[in-house]
Amino acid sequence: MRRAALLLAASLAAGAAIAQPIAFDAAERARILSHGPWPMAWSPDPSNRVSGRPAAVALGERLFFDTRLSGNGLVSCAGCHRPKQHWSDGHARAIGHAEADRNTPTIANLRHSRWFGWDGAADNLWAQSLRPLLDPREMSFSIAALARLVRSEPAFDCRYRAAFGRSVPADDEQVALDAAKALAAFQETIVTGRTSFDDFRDALARGDATAMARYPAAAQRGLKLFVGRAQCSVCHGGPLFTNGEFAEIGVGHFVRPGVVDPGRHDGIRKLKASPYNLLGRWNDDRSRGTATGTRHVAAEHRNFGEFKVPGLRNVAETAPYMHDGSVATLREAVRHYSELDPDRVHSDGGTLLKPLKLADAEIDDLVAFLRTLTEPPAPFARRELTEPRCD
Amino acid sequence: MRLRHTVALALALAAAASAAPLAAADLPIFDAHIHYSHDAWANLPPAQAVDTLRKAGIRRALVSSSGDEGTQRLVAAAPDLILPSLRPYRSRSDVSTWVRDATVIPFLEERLAKHRYVAIGEFHVYGADADLPVMRRVVELAKQRGLLLHLHGDADAVERVFRQDPGARILWAHSGFTDPASVREMLRKHANLWCDLAFRSDPAAGGKVSPEWRAAFEAFPDRFMVGTDTYTPERWLYVGEHAKWAREWLADLPRPLAERIAWRNGEALMAKVARSGL
Repeated sequence: MRRAALLLAASLAAGAAIAQPIAFDAAERARILSHGPWPMAWSPDPSNRVSGRPAAVALGERLFFDTRLSGNGLVSCAGCHRPKQHWSDGHARAIGHAEADRNTPTIANLRHSRWFGWDGAADNLWAQSLRPLLDPREMSFSIAALARLVRSEPAFDCRYRAAFGRSVPADDEQVALDAAKALAAFQETIVTGRTSFDDFRDALARGDATAMARYPAAAQRGLKLFVGRAQCSVCHGGPLFTNGEFAEIGVGHFVRPGVVDPGRHDGIRKLKASPYNLLGRWNDDRSRGTATGTRHVAAEHRNFGEFKVPGLRNVAETAPYMHDGSVATLREAVRHYSELDPDRVHSDGGTLLKPLKLADAEIDDLVAFLRTLTEPPAPFARRELTEPRCD
Repeated sequence: MRLRHTVALALALAAAASAAPLAAADLPIFDAHIHYSHDAWANLPPAQAVDTLRKAGIRRALVSSSGDEGTQRLVAAAPDLILPSLRPYRSRSDVSTWVRDATVIPFLEERLAKHRYVAIGEFHVYGADADLPVMRRVVELAKQRGLLLHLHGDADAVERVFRQDPGARILWAHSGFTDPASVREMLRKHANLWCDLAFRSDPAAGGKVSPEWRAAFEAFPDRFMVGTDTYTPERWLYVGEHAKWAREWLADLPRPLAERIAWRNGEALMAKVARSGL
């Protein structure tokens, strides 16, 4: 750290128009380094036998963009998870057949997740992919209709055979789960690109002061707050900028008067009851090696009103924020933590969340840092027409 | 006088319940930890809040609010159900400052002169803060009026209050968020200490009481009670779920012990308060 600071100072002495050096202590430096490297290593999902298979990815991509996977033939997965909007939709609450209760989260980087959905009601990506298809407010489809479509549409039937190495079976539920696994295989390919933060982080790791100095001063100050006094990185930790778990952060969770969104508390109940969890027969991994969390998780009082801690990569491009989209801008989201009501967050003597009481300039700096988590524009190109050749 | 009538009603209820044993699903609940703060009023008017409690099988609820107006509204709506406790918070923001804020005292004195209460609390206090002048005056006020102290804090704070007034009665919110062995030690040392189990999930899992907590309940069968802790308005919609959860694990205990924790201990404590109250 000291060496890096000296090098940075030497660069400044050279007179280039570069950022002023920000001093990071050893703990801050360790936390910054923990947010990388990016991209993360990944291996296919053992619960999904077609995870990582190009033919399954091709089938999943076809399914993802097809509006026939809905009750009214007008709604596709991509209707809410829009590639041009970083796989979100810009609405406060998702709109399918009707308005849902929660914000549409991005699906980028999901392949590294342990729990899925704002409430973690799924422990695997294929079960999570099936959920909106069957929700009457979202796609309002059915197991039987999905199976029928896969069988009757030659483009699906062909790709199914390529992906799964067999004809489409007669069992509707089997077909639906396979389709969900193909959808999961496609979504696993959606990974955000490197950002200017990643360049800074790697420069810090190798002590390259010149490269570090290219990172804007405001972002460096914001980063220092993020890993330091504001303690954001406690929950928004690691390369994904999330611990993958759930938290109550003082955001109201009434859906409407008299109706509350229980969040994680109900998510655990749904997870345990789901026939599609990792303990069930649809898990392709007979060892159940990734099912330990599902086996042991149990609802606690604190889970009521908890929602998943979202990753922050591309966060500047995925407004509005919070589980219900109730916060319109990134600046407001930061301000929430600056001014939150401590009595809305239960204290057992040492609560993490306290109002940060940030100055306006500090909020600016945190926002500047968060903006550096945005990948450069890289238009999504569909591969469906060439992999595999079925048309 | 009104308070004594309420307690008499509760004792009659207790007698009736003991005469006809109930199934676990029907176990009445004395909820020792309810808040009805300003933002709850808008979302859940008093009549609806009372209805929520009754539907959950809550027979009596110790209620404190930030500010006190919420408690008074509930008392007016259901005097048979609501046991009012005076919280030293005019708004929630007082939670971290009250113990160093001398203006809290005239607020408490004015409310105590105007309304009847069974307790002062729930308030948050830790360690040496319990010996600050504001807290000392709270202990004095409770002593003068025979009121329970509903204390959310560590064992050190509890010890300091008992040193100030060895005769104080303390309901230790959340059982101090400490482990069952430490709770037992505190209960052994202090005969006037009771514990609520609000916001604690560790006493039981899957309807089965943990061995450590079972030992604590068996060693001190007359000192524990359950509580929901409606610290946000949304938590009012968790009251029924919480009561159901409590009944599930209480059913894992011998019936007499389950009844004590569910409601008899709360009623017995209120009877003590009524006997010593002004």
